[in-house]
Amino acid sequence: MPYCVHCGVELDATAAFCPLCHTKVLDLSQLPDPAAAQPFPTQRGEVAPVAKQELALLITAMLACVAACCGILNLFLRPDRGWSLYVIGAAVMLWLWIVPPLLARGMHLLLRLLVDVVAVGLYIYLISVDLDGKAWFWGLAAPIILWGGAVLLLLGLVLRVYRRSVITTLTILIGSLGVFLFGVEYLIDHWLCAAWEPSWSLVVLTICVGLVIPLIIVRRIPSLREEARKRFHL
Amino acid sequence: MAENGGASQWYRLDNAGVLYSALQKETYSAIYRFSAVMDRPVDRQALQRAVDKTMPRFPTFRVRIKRGAFWYYFEPNDAPGPYVKDDISNPCQPVRFQEDNGWLVRFYSYDCRISVEVFHAVSDGGGALVLFRTLLAVYLRELGHAIPNTCGVLDVDAPPRQEELEDAYGRYAQGKGRRMKHRGKAYQNTGTPEPFYTFNVTMGFCSVLQLKQKAGEYGVSITEYLTAVLMKVILDKQHREAPRRELPVALAIPINLRAWFPSETLRNFILTARPVVDPSLGEYTFEEVLSQVHHMLRLSVDRKRMRAELTGNVRFTQNRLLQIVPIALKNPVMALGYRIAGVRPYSGTYTNPGAFAVPPEMAPHIRRMEVILGQATIPRVHCASISYGDIMEITFAGTQKETDTERDFFRFLIRDGVAVKVESNRTE
Ligand SMILES: [Zn+2]
Repeated sequence: MPYCVHCGVELDATAAFCPLCHTKVLDLSQLPDPAAAQPFPTQRGEVAPVAKQELALLITAMLACVAACCGILNLFLRPDRGWSLYVIGAAVMLWLWIVPPLLARGMHLLLRLLVDVVAVGLYIYLISVDLDGKAWFWGLAAPIILWGGAVLLLLGLVLRVYRRSVITTLTILIGSLGVFLFGVEYLIDHWLCAAWEPSWSLVVLTICVGLVIPLIIVRRIPSLREEARKRFHL
Repeated sequence: MAENGGASQWYRLDNAGVLYSALQKETYSAIYRFSAVMDRPVDRQALQRAVDKTMPRFPTFRVRIKRGAFWYYFEPNDAPGPYVKDDISNPCQPVRFQEDNGWLVRFYSYDCRISVEVFHAVSDGGGALVLFRTLLAVYLRELGHAIPNTCGVLDVDAPPRQEELEDAYGRYAQGKGRRMKHRGKAYQNTGTPEPFYTFNVTMGFCSVLQLKQKAGEYGVSITEYLTAVLMKVILDKQHREAPRRELPVALAIPINLRAWFPSETLRNFILTARPVVDPSLGEYTFEEVLSQVHHMLRLSVDRKRMRAELTGNVRFTQNRLLQIVPIALKNPVMALGYRIAGVRPYSGTYTNPGAFAVPPEMAPHIRRMEVILGQATIPRVHCASISYGDIMEITFAGTQKETDTERDFFRFLIRDGVAVKVESNRTE
């Protein structure tokens, strides 16, 4: 009859350690017999995560149905314009956004962002092909999409680290929105007149900074932080 | 569709069942398990024969759950089974309504242990223990022992009785109803979650006689004593974590209403008591916690108040507005309601169905009884205990890595002079 030297509880004869404090059972005169019947079965009941597969199937069916219906309607309604391709492209994009994360539990953040950004890029690219807009796609749309993806990636990584605090999350969200719009104006200016004259985005950025400053102060000063937590139950 | 008492046609879920079915998801298990450790290894064939003979006597367990437009309902399950399965190391897995032929009851065997797992929407512990006692009697008869139908063993050759099928909540819901008033947030006692579908179970065994003696010294019952020990260790744990403001520590203690409102139902018939201690008022000694628990538990078994509460719960599900909300919308709302009213105000659950009584002819064949509650919605331990003969079995089960609560609990008992033996399914 082994006992735990820390807890004082009696342990099972087959126990190699105390389940309460993880102290090893070290009795050289009476080692645990691994062949003896354990108090609990060792075989785990494994289950496949099914519920999400069903949801993924349902969403796939819905999107596919929408795409097919619009494709057929296009044959009769204004067949000269391939308008249904816009709907079909949107359905594909939505599918890429929703379904892979449902199927792959714990999909890596980077991979997921990559898939999402590629989906948006592909969709806009197809539109640009239809509208003969190769120039604006490569000059403006692609950089904005890439910039948005980069900001989102940074946001995702930072939030993963600071997930705990609501104040920090809010600060980072507002801040990255400002930075994103700032970059958008830079890209637009660059594309339109090849010169950078920050105007509206500077206003937005200032608003964001204005919103963020009090949050940072609250976050920095412990007494204020406690007060905010108390008042808002954060 | 015709509704009747519940034997051969569809019937409504009772009040507790409505809640548990609405909450059911992959990370929460309203499944509980009772086990009997027999005096010799289990004969699987005999056990399967016993299951096949016993189940027809219990139509409220022979059901599958169906999703209506507005509510779930039960209908008789004529699928083959339920089959006795090899036991697994992670018990009380969440139920999936579509799988396992729709069975909401499971049977397992391992070495000398026979286990039954029941979905809480079907029945509470009181009802499930009647099924289990009868099953054990039939099993022992299959092995050639003569077991009489006494001490709560039902006659499996007799037809099911109408009283066993009733919705007791519905019967006693009379007069003024009152829903629980809003309760503040309690200390949550959570830990680091384990990966998907890992369930840590730690059981402690001690002597009922020693416990009775110890509780007697304090002038309380064993349940009150164990409740107070649990509250004290959770209070101390919170104190060690040194939070900015210490939250109250409160436990959910299910009360079997059959003792107060005569009913033979084998479906749900429980309410929850909530003993609470607020450490922000100052540090409580064990004796003070014990005195609080002792008086609060006695105050909460006020027949009029219990009736008002169960009436309020029944009236709530009969609310015209709620009736017409589609089930897909109702479930998330009820889950949110449960978070606010059923999880936040509590630090944990402790349930003690009491002593498991069997006919004297059965007694020598059963070594001990065990009980396990399924995983909570958040990573924290639920505590349950059951006694058989002189063995009190106390289980801590949850999905958190830490062992603080159970370690401190059993160390407390040891320091108080109660010898404890511990077994666990933890592998590291
Ligand atoms: Zn130990």
